[in-house]
Amino acid sequence: MKVARWLLAAVLALGLAQAQVVLRALMEDVPETHIIEKLLPDFEKKTGIKVEFEVVQYGAMHDKLVSQLLAPTSAYDFLEVDFLWAGEFPAAGWLEPLEPYVKKSGFDLSPYLPSMLDLVGYYNGKLYMIPMYNYAMGLIYRTDLLADPKLKAKYLELYSKELGVPAILGDYVQTSVFMKKYAGVAGAAMQGQRGDPNFMEFSNYLFGAGGDYADKNWHVTLDSPAGVKALRLYVKNIREAAQKGALNANLDDTYREMCQGRAWSMITYWWMLPQLDDAKKCPKVAGKVKLAVMPGGHGVNGGWGWAIPHNSAHKEEAWKFIQWVESPEIVKKRALMGHAPTRRDVLTDPDVLAKYPYYAQVLEILEGAKKVPIFAYTAEMEDVIGREISLAASGQKSVEQAIKDAAKGLYGLFKKAGLVK
Amino acid sequence: MGLFFAIPGVLVLAGVVAFPLLYALLLSFSSYTFLKPTLAPFVGLAHYLEAFRDPYFLNSVKLTTLYAFLTVGLSLLIGLLIAVLLFQPAPGKEFYYAVISVPMLIAPVGVALIWKMILHPELGIVTYFFSHLGLEAPDFFGDPRFALFTLALVDTWQQVSFVALVLLAGLRSLPKEPLEAALVDGASPLQRFFHVTLPLLRPVIGVVLILQTIAELRTYDLVYVLTRGGPGAATDLLAYFIYRKAFLGLDLGGASALAYLLLLLTLALVVFYYRRVFQEV
Repeated sequence: MKVARWLLAAVLALGLAQAQVVLRALMEDVPETHIIEKLLPDFEKKTGIKVEFEVVQYGAMHDKLVSQLLAPTSAYDFLEVDFLWAGEFPAAGWLEPLEPYVKKSGFDLSPYLPSMLDLVGYYNGKLYMIPMYNYAMGLIYRTDLLADPKLKAKYLELYSKELGVPAILGDYVQTSVFMKKYAGVAGAAMQGQRGDPNFMEFSNYLFGAGGDYADKNWHVTLDSPAGVKALRLYVKNIREAAQKGALNANLDDTYREMCQGRAWSMITYWWMLPQLDDAKKCPKVAGKVKLAVMPGGHGVNGGWGWAIPHNSAHKEEAWKFIQWVESPEIVKKRALMGHAPTRRDVLTDPDVLAKYPYYAQVLEILEGAKKVPIFAYTAEMEDVIGREISLAASGQKSVEQAIKDAAKGLYGLFKKAGLVK
Repeated sequence: MGLFFAIPGVLVLAGVVAFPLLYALLLSFSSYTFLKPTLAPFVGLAHYLEAFRDPYFLNSVKLTTLYAFLTVGLSLLIGLLIAVLLFQPAPGKEFYYAVISVPMLIAPVGVALIWKMILHPELGIVTYFFSHLGLEAPDFFGDPRFALFTLALVDTWQQVSFVALVLLAGLRSLPKEPLEAALVDGASPLQRFFHVTLPLLRPVIGVVLILQTIAELRTYDLVYVLTRGGPGAATDLLAYFIYRKAFLGLDLGGASALAYLLLLLTLALVVFYYRRVFQEV
């Protein structure tokens, strides 16, 4: 009798184990992932669904995801999608449209910032992702140098105006050149390496100067007067104010430069602020750095979104996970643990603001942030435009010719993607 | 019967060499992309013609050829010098062999990272030494005038060990009689080296030349870690160009065509060396 009971219990346990759904996802090895991991027991308790993360470095993610998205069934049941792939994945038909799930479950999209929904939400008018995380770009600057009486007096003498946080792009470059000349530091720690580093950096200058890559109908506008002005100012800053070696520098190099107190400013991702403001990591500048909106009012938006692959075996359960992880309660918990929210209600929450006062500036940055063109060839666009920026910055091509060639290259990519005829 | 036993080997070769080569050739005539992974429609020679119309591709061919001549030439010269020095009787040679072999044993990515820090424009030890001499160090990778040459020097640093060891093996296998005859005839050490040793070493030099040229034309890792092809297009070597065509442009057809053009360039240089070195021996 006892044996029979044990056998029955074993069969039941086996049946339950088989019935339990296990959701798998590929996640980047960043604090955000580990924050969510800590909260997962709550989801498992509420739904009985188990979640397993495969955690890898960013560089390995794209190839792993593409191979799974091309397979008949994906090993991943939900995805985190970087905005750089937010055109490629839906264009290839690899993502499940999420509108039916939103409608069926009554999921509220209204708290999400429009700039985030535009970036990692909609693609060609259809909702494929729910914004998960933001990494928009802005200006980080040293307050001690701006407050230095000698520098203030010199600036006033030279330009007949007060030294302060620049509001427009021309003033930013002017202040940066001034700092290099009179403050004994680089005016700007710049990431001029060809490709993603200089493309992302320059895009802030372009948006800050009032320009854009294309209009809503994919007509290239990069070679507008604003585009020429942006590149001219970018070239001036990298040649006259940046650190030595800026033409081959990447994000890590600029961080080191700023952390060691060797630069006055950097145009970078806002999350760099808490890194620089950490007295253990950067004792030379901690307590002396602040965040501001990109001069000109618009910086580059960046972020990640949650999505469900078209070949997921557990779409309904994956949506349950997204609903849970994006619920106000969980997003607030994540934010208090260091997550970068994409919802206005969390960014303005008093508890969150008390812990992270600079989220007020992050909200400002996000409200004005613009996106670079997101389409099937975004990665190639970074390379083509990055090459032309680098040619102009290194003096191998004139600014006018470089912007003309960059616009021509961009048009070619839009054409290849079938966006223009 | 002999043919029968050769079948497994031939099949393996067909599978791992002939099939990828033929498939890549087929791809190079197709419109295959990662977004539309089908061979149809075939585009004929379109990818090849497009490559020759692209000034950046032509720039890459020019840079890659220059780079191969620079690195192969330098590593051959320095390698020969080291091999000759190691060939002389001296105590503790094993130690020198070990030191000389170290660069060859490091992965190219590791070599690139080591030199990235050594030549860092602000934190590098080379910059430090320059500043002690009251000089300003060049911006090794950030200045388009120096970037390709710096890359070539880093590559040479790693390749020299292989070249030196192969040439040393060559020197050791040379017949002693011609050198002894030259000594008896009263030839000076330099005369013996240039008129006896070097001509006898010619086939070994030829092999090194061909192997190194093939390796240098495919340089990718150093560019990826150190410069990403920049500044501008100053270090945009062909292998890195092809990688971007495939994985950023998602264009496997176009990348296959470029890979075939690289193969043709490699073959042309190998045939040139072969004729110059082996057929004149």
